[in-house]
Amino acid sequence: MLLVLWPAWAQQTTLTVLTHDSWSLDKNLVARFEQENGIRVRFLKGGDAGEMLNKAILSKGAPIADVIYGFDNTLLSRALQADILQPYRSPELPNLRPELIIDQTFRATPVDFGYVALNYDRDFFKGKPLPQRFADLTQPEFAGLLVVQNPATSSPGLAFLLATVAAFGEDGYLDFWENLRKNGVRVVSGWSEAYYTHFTRAGGDRPLVVSYSTSPAAELYYSEAKPKPTEPPTANLFLPRSSFFQVEYVGILKGTRNLRAAQRFVDWLVSKPAQESIPTQMWVYPARRDARLPEVFRFAQVPPEPARLTPQQIANNRERWIREWTQVVVQGQTAQAVKARR
Amino acid sequence: MAKAYWLALPVLVFLALALLYPLGRIVALGLGEGFAPTLADPYYRSRLVWSLAYGLGSSLLCALVALPLAYAFRYRFPGRDFWLAFSVVPFVLPTLVVAMGFLSLVGPRGLLGVNLYGTPWILFWASLLYNLGLVLRPLVALLPKLSTPMQAARTLGASPLRAYLRVGIPLLAPALLSSGSLVFLFSFTSFGVPLLLGGAGWATLEVATYQALAQRLAFPEASALVLMQLGVTGAVLWLYLRLQAGWVVGLEGAEAPRPLTRGRALLLSTGVSGFFLLLYSPLLALVWRALERPGAWLSVWHNPDFTPGLLALQNTLVFAAMALLGVLPVGLLYAYAVWRGARWLDGLGLLPLMVSPVALGLGYLLVYPGLRGSIWLLIGAYILLSYPLLTRTLLPALQGLPRGVLEAARVLGAPPWRRFIRVEWPLVRPSTIAGLALALAALLGEFGATLTLQRPEWATLSLAIYERLGRPGATPFYEAVVLAVVLMVLCTVLLLGLQKSTWDR
Repeated sequence: MLLVLWPAWAQQTTLTVLTHDSWSLDKNLVARFEQENGIRVRFLKGGDAGEMLNKAILSKGAPIADVIYGFDNTLLSRALQADILQPYRSPELPNLRPELIIDQTFRATPVDFGYVALNYDRDFFKGKPLPQRFADLTQPEFAGLLVVQNPATSSPGLAFLLATVAAFGEDGYLDFWENLRKNGVRVVSGWSEAYYTHFTRAGGDRPLVVSYSTSPAAELYYSEAKPKPTEPPTANLFLPRSSFFQVEYVGILKGTRNLRAAQRFVDWLVSKPAQESIPTQMWVYPARRDARLPEVFRFAQVPPEPARLTPQQIANNRERWIREWTQVVVQGQTAQAVKARR
Repeated sequence: MAKAYWLALPVLVFLALALLYPLGRIVALGLGEGFAPTLADPYYRSRLVWSLAYGLGSSLLCALVALPLAYAFRYRFPGRDFWLAFSVVPFVLPTLVVAMGFLSLVGPRGLLGVNLYGTPWILFWASLLYNLGLVLRPLVALLPKLSTPMQAARTLGASPLRAYLRVGIPLLAPALLSSGSLVFLFSFTSFGVPLLLGGAGWATLEVATYQALAQRLAFPEASALVLMQLGVTGAVLWLYLRLQAGWVVGLEGAEAPRPLTRGRALLLSTGVSGFFLLLYSPLLALVWRALERPGAWLSVWHNPDFTPGLLALQNTLVFAAMALLGVLPVGLLYAYAVWRGARWLDGLGLLPLMVSPVALGLGYLLVYPGLRGSIWLLIGAYILLSYPLLTRTLLPALQGLPRGVLEAARVLGAPPWRRFIRVEWPLVRPSTIAGLALALAALLGEFGATLTLQRPEWATLSLAIYERLGRPGATPFYEAVVLAVVLMVLCTVLLLGLQKSTWDR
């Protein structure tokens, strides 16, 4: 039996795809892709998006994978600078939303997008006022309500820090964070910890959390209550410029020995069936214009005024912003002192 | 002596390839530039001081609590075997899950109404919860053997105090130092607990290394931190080896737990159980949560949205069993070689416990770029991470072997292999099983290496938990809690089984 099957196995190409920890796609779809193309696909999880990209950069030249998926626009410039990606113009490109195609060298193909946004616990705020402006978060009436992620260890944390830079500017963002610190903001290391231990929905004491604009929809999708509620227990708090626009990319790693298979995989990832399975698997929006959204995405609204920074701005300042943030929020220095040392 | 090195050779080759070479590359990359600034940075210095305080405080705390407990465990009382087996269970639980238990008990809105989040007290409690078993189990195995020499001292006219100070303490010292050094290493280099429970202010060196290396690829800072860490662990080991050398005393015979009258047994049982219930109350809070949603107990096994619980359970058991097959020869060979004279090997054998897994993982990528998800790599990492636990438990037992019996065997003409099978093995078997149990416990809950080296179809229980905790919503949350409780029960049952086989010889 094995001997009969052996030649078929040996002919098959194995494609390795490096992804971040949140990777998830319909297993049946992947199986069909494998069958139709005679390619075996192996997914290698490389940690959080930043860690994953660092691993790809470290193994430059002799890559640990053929394809890398999941680096976003906060990391795009680092990937391009490190020169680990190979250009590829997918025939599917015209079907993708043009505003997502930021890289004009076609080394990174957009797969999905989403927004890092503030979520609130609806029960907690029943009959209480919500903050109206971003700066309201530093007011005494909202003291001790917010939990955020450390931008040094978490990608939503970094995205939220970038939103504050975009909203308050170089001069104002550190003052905002200093006030936030004085107002009792809690900093934790990652998204799961913030959401599952400190957010009031899971038994914590913070009704405001940095999460994603799709989280309320996911709450409803995974709700266990019977009958299923018609509205999610959480909602987005879209303060102007408090949410951050994130695009996730796929790229072919330089040095791959399976170029053809890698290209087919990229095409498939932005094909209609794969794109339509993305929303309820990874809770982001498909990059394809004609992909239908599931019903539950009614609750995953698009923020009216998201903050945006160019990859170049991010590349030039990311390290410094994180360092200054650490000095003010973690080590408790004053914004003034930190700015004076610039 | 020369023979000892031959015995250790395979292990040394394994260590060099799996540990020294990749780690060396990381340190080499950072040497030179930026090294001094990192050492001078007050932030990093404060990390070092706190890590030291945490390591020392934890081992002292564990020893202080374990000693009186071990005396209680000399007696037979209801629940004795259960608590002894359970004491190493927390060791394997994913930190995120334990953190959830802690926070629901003593977090900002905890059941107890005290908020310990972000204080060092919650970290020391967590350390005791995680590490008590590491000190307690070897002590319990050793204490019954103490009574004969103690009685001898008393017969010769020593007062109880004097007998204890002159005979008891020196006999206990190797085990206390040995397990205490393990606790120190685990706390000093700990990652998950300070990251999740300490808030930003109580980061250890390991957390700082992770932030420098995994997030920013800052090699100069990271290698300075790695070297700082190695410097401390190396110094502690050297001290420990020096101290231990003068303390080896032969112990003969063993004793089953002593019987007690019914009333006293119940009294002891109440006291010990009360203490453990208090210590483990964060885990009870977790069980409480898991029972809140009975639906999750059904959906978790076949949920198509995530790794089905059944597959995860199966993988966990298969991988742990495969790794144990490697841990046994490697750990045994190593302990034997050290005992036979290669003392400096002892420190080297502990290296896997004292290096930063983050640094190691990145080192693998640097030196073995072709390294892709292969099951043997995963098993290799498992062996590397858990064999020191077997060696540690086995060594005090080997060093305590009665010389007379061994010499008698030699004089009577038994060849070495025969001496091993007929004389040494039966004497060290209980410690071997205890060590294997510890290694097994570490394997069942292993998380870091599994995450980096895994493929989706290999997801283990700890990964299935982690995967669910990455999505918002009630179903994933409660399923994660259920899987954590399953992991806890699984470890308890397996360890209880091994424990039984140790006592029912």
